[in-house]
Amino acid sequence: MKFIIKKEISAYFQTPFGFVFVGMFLLLSGITFSTYNLMGGSGDLNGMFGLLGNISFMIFPILTMKLFAEERKNGTENVLLTSKLSITDIVVGKYISAVFVFVVALLATVVYVGIIATYGYANYGGIIASYLGFFLLGITMIAVCVFTSSLADNQVTAAIASFGILFLLVMMQSFSSSIQIPVLTPVLSALAITVPYDEFTRGIFRAGPVCYYIGISIFFLFLAIKNLERKKFD
Amino acid sequence: MIEAIGLTRHYGDKRGVSDINFKIEKGEIIGLLGPNGAGKSTIMKMITGYMAPSEGTVVIDGSDIVKDRKKATSKIGFLPEIVPLYTEMRVEDYLYFLSEIKGIKKKARKAHIVNIMELVKVIDVKDRLIKNLSKGYRQRVGMAGALIGLPEILIFDEPTVGLDPKQITQVRDLIKKLSEKHTVILSSHILSEITMICEKVMIVNNGKLIAVDTVENLSSNRNDNGNFLISLKGDNARAKELLLSAEGVVSVETDTETVLQDGFCAFKVKAEAETKVRENIFSIMAKENMAIIELSTQRHSLEDIFLQLTSEAGSYSESKVAQK
Repeated sequence: MKFIIKKEISAYFQTPFGFVFVGMFLLLSGITFSTYNLMGGSGDLNGMFGLLGNISFMIFPILTMKLFAEERKNGTENVLLTSKLSITDIVVGKYISAVFVFVVALLATVVYVGIIATYGYANYGGIIASYLGFFLLGITMIAVCVFTSSLADNQVTAAIASFGILFLLVMMQSFSSSIQIPVLTPVLSALAITVPYDEFTRGIFRAGPVCYYIGISIFFLFLAIKNLERKKFD
Repeated sequence: MIEAIGLTRHYGDKRGVSDINFKIEKGEIIGLLGPNGAGKSTIMKMITGYMAPSEGTVVIDGSDIVKDRKKATSKIGFLPEIVPLYTEMRVEDYLYFLSEIKGIKKKARKAHIVNIMELVKVIDVKDRLIKNLSKGYRQRVGMAGALIGLPEILIFDEPTVGLDPKQITQVRDLIKKLSEKHTVILSSHILSEITMICEKVMIVNNGKLIAVDTVENLSSNRNDNGNFLISLKGDNARAKELLLSAEGVVSVETDTETVLQDGFCAFKVKAEAETKVRENIFSIMAKENMAIIELSTQRHSLEDIFLQLTSEAGSYSESKVAQK
């Protein structure tokens, strides 16, 4: 698996993908930080992460669109599938590399904490909870995108499909609060990917939301593995 | 080394290839021939584990590709028609990555890659990005990738397509060199390439294997092997008359393709049984004191055989077809 991680991380920074993602992420987080913290005079990052959680679905597809579609286009997918690597190694390796780039982007936002600490009062508990929540939301969105990338034959399809699914999962919160139908509403609430995240941005830390995100991530990675297994010897 | 047993592949309702059976022994160089869409690439993909057979299987050195794909494919190096490359990587990094995922031991990796790069002559571009290489170099990098781990079997699908004449010669020379130590299967549209490189050919048409034999045997096994060319010293009309009088001769046609001096003539003779007819002609011409300058069997080129076989719709029973 380490070979795949190494290859993918270097591929992110040998091509514009990694830089575009980090750049876009910092642009979005910079705008939200300026709006909530610099102009709003807030000492915690819940406002910034709250808004970022609702708009970040736009940038995660950039991170994952090439993961499998590119391999398929270049004909290298079969090279991987007939190597000593297992499909789990391939999927998890690619997932970890995407998470790594996301973490690099997230770590760059620590500068904002420094700015708050220097010029005001930093609520470290709330900030850590916000970071943890956004990290979990991010890795879940990446897992969803990894799955859609495993289905697509080209990068544009992968990006559009990921964008559509993430948009739906983010919008599910609004749907579930506006529709009151027995059975359907709880299902929609469970699918609303940003609902547990709101707890973190309020500074609340519970094991339930952590398990929710980890569970959803594992579920989509499992789907990606099964999809590739089906394709592997088709 | 490789045994295909009832290999069949469906694409939906359509049959890609059906009931392919053959055996390839260790060290053989086989050319896979067939018109576009005949099923060559499908057969290659099934042998290399890139595609699962709908029915049947391939046994690679005792390992069944359906039951134990990893073990079976570990003995194969495959260069598909579209060369699989990570174009953003440097040549050396790409080969190093392949050596990692193919399980080459860490200590041996560097030396292994250098040996392969020297063999396929890409060492001079090892630090360049693959995307900046010419097609010929990319093809050779692809070959280097197929050679990682030095698999016993090498399979090349149309390896010279899109290359310039110089690059084609280089790739052919490389394949010939590789065939000294590996079992090679080569698919190509260029029949002269197959004749030049391969010992044996497999001809595929409409998803069926219609012939497996050496070019020599395919040529001599053709059912019109009674045809031969004869050049004589003497009068054309008299020579033709004498030839037609020989027992077993069916027809005699003046050979306009052979360029001769005055007083000489050449004919294409169609006969029932070649050997006996030649003896008869020799006796007649000796009696008439007409010197035979040349008497040779009319050999079929691989082009002739290929065109004839592919138009016969798979009814070539003489050759070693379908060794079940």
